Amino acid sequence: MIKNYFKIAWRNLIKNKGYSAINIGGLALGMAVTLMIGLWVNDELSFNNYFKNQDKIAQVYQSQTFNGNTGTGPAIPRPLEKALRDGYGDNFKHLIMSSWTSDHYLKYGEKSLSRPGNYMQRQAPELFELDILKGEKDGLREINSIMLSESTAEALFGNEDPIGKTVKVRNEFDLNVSSVYKDFPYSSSFSETNFIIPWEKYLIENEWIKNAEDSWGNNSFQMFVQIADNTFMDTVTETIRNVKKDLNEDTAEFNPQIFLFPMEDWHLRGSFENGKQTGGRIKYVWLFGIIGAFVLLLACINFMNLSTARSEKRSKEVGIRKSIGSQRGQLIYQFLSESFLVVLLAFVISVCILFLSLNGFNDLARKEIEFPWGNGLFWLISLGFILFTSLLAGSYPALYLSSFKPVEVLKGTFKAGKYSGLPRKILVVFQFTVSVAFIIGTVIVMQQINYAKNRPVGYDKEGLIQVPTFSEDFSGKTDLMRTEFLSSGAVVQMSTSSSPTTRIWSNRSGFTWEGKPEGFQEDLAWTEVSPEYAKSLNLKIVEGRDFSREFATDSLGVLINETAKKYLGLENPIGMLLKDDDEEDPGPPLKIIGVVEDMIAQSPYEPVKQAVYVYDRHDNFSYYNLRLNPNGSASENVATIERVFTEHFPDIPFEYQFVDDQYGEKFASEERIGNLSSIFTALAILISCLGLFGLTSFVAEQRTKEIGVRKVLGASVFNVWNMLSKDFLRLVIISCFIAMPISYYIMNGWVQEYPYHINLKWWVFLLAMFGAMLVTVVTVSFQAIKAAKSNPIKSLRTE
Amino acid sequence: MIQIQNLKKSFRTEEVETLALNNVNLKVEEGEFVAIMGPSGCGKSTLLNIIGMLDNPTEGSYNFAGHEVAGLKESQRTQLRKGNLGFVFQSFNLIDELTVYENVELPLIYLKMNKSERREKVMKVLERMKIAHREKHFPQQLSGGQQQRVAISRAVVTNPKLILADEPTGNLDSKNGIEVMNLLTELNQEGTTIVMVTHSDRDSHYAHRVVNLFDGQIVTESKNREIGAMI
Repeated sequence: MIKNYFKIAWRNLIKNKGYSAINIGGLALGMAVTLMIGLWVNDELSFNNYFKNQDKIAQVYQSQTFNGNTGTGPAIPRPLEKALRDGYGDNFKHLIMSSWTSDHYLKYGEKSLSRPGNYMQRQAPELFELDILKGEKDGLREINSIMLSESTAEALFGNEDPIGKTVKVRNEFDLNVSSVYKDFPYSSSFSETNFIIPWEKYLIENEWIKNAEDSWGNNSFQMFVQIADNTFMDTVTETIRNVKKDLNEDTAEFNPQIFLFPMEDWHLRGSFENGKQTGGRIKYVWLFGIIGAFVLLLACINFMNLSTARSEKRSKEVGIRKSIGSQRGQLIYQFLSESFLVVLLAFVISVCILFLSLNGFNDLARKEIEFPWGNGLFWLISLGFILFTSLLAGSYPALYLSSFKPVEVLKGTFKAGKYSGLPRKILVVFQFTVSVAFIIGTVIVMQQINYAKNRPVGYDKEGLIQVPTFSEDFSGKTDLMRTEFLSSGAVVQMSTSSSPTTRIWSNRSGFTWEGKPEGFQEDLAWTEVSPEYAKSLNLKIVEGRDFSREFATDSLGVLINETAKKYLGLENPIGMLLKDDDEEDPGPPLKIIGVVEDMIAQSPYEPVKQAVYVYDRHDNFSYYNLRLNPNGSASENVATIERVFTEHFPDIPFEYQFVDDQYGEKFASEERIGNLSSIFTALAILISCLGLFGLTSFVAEQRTKEIGVRKVLGASVFNVWNMLSKDFLRLVIISCFIAMPISYYIMNGWVQEYPYHINLKWWVFLLAMFGAMLVTVVTVSFQAIKAAKSNPIKSLRTE
Repeated sequence: MIQIQNLKKSFRTEEVETLALNNVNLKVEEGEFVAIMGPSGCGKSTLLNIIGMLDNPTEGSYNFAGHEVAGLKESQRTQLRKGNLGFVFQSFNLIDELTVYENVELPLIYLKMNKSERREKVMKVLERMKIAHREKHFPQQLSGGQQQRVAISRAVVTNPKLILADEPTGNLDSKNGIEVMNLLTELNQEGTTIVMVTHSDRDSHYAHRVVNLFDGQIVTESKNREIGAMI
């Protein structure tokens, strides 16, 4: 029986090649999109699956409240370690302190490179289940050791055995390679960690860290834990919540809350707002999941519409089968097996599409998804997916077609009723509602991105490069380097800074100033800069003056930005003092000498943070900021800079980045979303149009005789075209009016999430409507004009 | 075999009610060959559809081989129809996507017969209808007469007790028409009951009995004594 079904289904497909192509092609496109999104979602959900103890691993987080604003983050103070080990040790299987992941120069022989990595405590390899390929498992036992990732070891040592060899780090100290571990996979939170150095080395090398041992106010470290087997995250969090508040009075006013942030939430639910977890990337998982479901549904609707539209052709078969003894159930089964066949073919094609486009998709989505050929579970899920799609696409046609009465269809009196086209129309309206909403959504996302991109940054980011200087070697040589760079002709201005221009690495509180309100808890972005910082960035001074080498007192001077002026409540800030209120070891008071224009250093969607730029007295800089000579070519300038750099620092690899590129990365995530959603929108429209194309050709065919008669009676091509197009156009216009309020509601909510956002413009909605109408007219016209131009004698003779 | 009493059938379309059959009483014995005649729209086909259990009467009783059919659900009618009834239509009603062999095989598939048995039966009937050499062809590759022979093959392949023919020669030229009528006569002589709707006087002479229908009512019944006299 089933063979008979497949046979007839196959022959029907072959016989109606046009319909089959539209049906299978549309479904294949839809399924490819859904599969692709499925792989993407799976990749997102399986992030950090590398860690088998994922459910037991957490990072220790802290919430603090400044002036009513609660900020939450992973930065914690050093004394917390002792407090947790001594007071709550039973709750943890492992507890390790860690530095931030930062770039370090690694050198072996003549080979020198820069890689990010961490300083961690001894149990790190155990906690993170490092896969040790060479050397000892307990690789952080000796203070002068370093563990390298496989790729870093290869880059540094080539074919040599790295174990026991000496690596020079930051061009400052030597470490012996104790072990080589397999790289963390790209889809894990530690994919950047290319080396691990013992924590004790961190303490020895950095005076300030050593000094932070008892400082509860210095939140500059990270802590990772694996909780004990017999306990739960929430339980531990409840126990340790107030540990800092209880132990330290000075910081208690900020109501510090200590809690465990489970690894399972790191990737997808990493956003906090006012101390509450508010989701994060998971919203994109939902967004794309919904898009995938809709695209599949659109493709299934094509199948439904084309199958039921062609019902008159199949009705005879239904009648015959029924009169020979087929039960309705058997017919339903037959039509479902037919849709299964179509979906199966579509699936095969969709796998091909997926395979061919996966690389492009990975580039676009910044993923490294591989096609899971060998994954049994994938194929099993695919089978379920095929069955589900067959049911989704096939059940309505199966129920509809199998309901025909044999008497009517066999006598040829069968005419689909007046309203039989209604479900089809509703489905077309649904398709175009989704498509139009997609168009509107995509346009608004793009507008918002462009709006943020065109936001004035406050400085001149073109022709500015940054060179990292992560070594003590650079200390004391700033003036020399400045002279060298300037005299090379490649650079017109140079400064140093402790953070990159596009980031804020340090925040400070604990100041007093004249007129400071009682109980005001300030939080200032802190950057240490050389005197030419504003000049090299073309940052405008709006009040007072810039740093000057001519005034020796400027070494205790500070520039503040406009937001900081307002934030600190200073009418006339010039000459005011910012005093350090540390009772034991206060730094010297800083004198405000100028106010600079706000510059965007963080999110381009957020307001600029209050910032101070402090004269760098201790060579705390991390970057050279170089303003290229606009008269030379950028590449030649960079080559000159590299030559000068290497002359003075032969052991340090020269690296640089254009500031505008770095700034551009701030949009990467939104731009990826925008690009992906435009592609999916285009596909959704294409699928909807395929369906419309099929339906028009069906209607034109069905009305051949009518068109013939009308033409004989004097109808022009335009009349016929108008008659056929009007119906569809009407449906599309209805769709637009449904889609507009829905997408307005959703997209308005979306832009409101960005403090710096566009207002929705009415013309976007109108544009989407005209776009949809244009696409409809073009699609429909192809068939309509073909039908209208055909010779009426021919169409009448076919009867 | 067939006993119809006070049968009524009406169709409703929005506001108008049309009475297609009005108080029809008809009895068909086993082995009989009955022709139903009458002008267009008199209700011939409606009656045939009810006899063929494709349709339900509005009122009255219809007894088929001891089973009351009126009021049965579609699935029950299908069960009763299966294997007992064969249909021959004016427009042949072959499934275009199936070959000659597959078309004839279809009723046997629905009877859940196994493959070798099906093959045997289909080939036997195709040979008898002299169409076996065309078994792999599709309906559209055949002439009208050949198509109708396939349709008859399909109707008789299950050895039904009753064959219902709705103007079986209507779409055929006279030579092919005569051939088809001869085939039906042969089947009747072998014991199959036949009820045929026809417009053709010539065809009606093949039947034992002619029932004349007018405006939904049986107006006359006449017996043909000289079967085959016209040929």
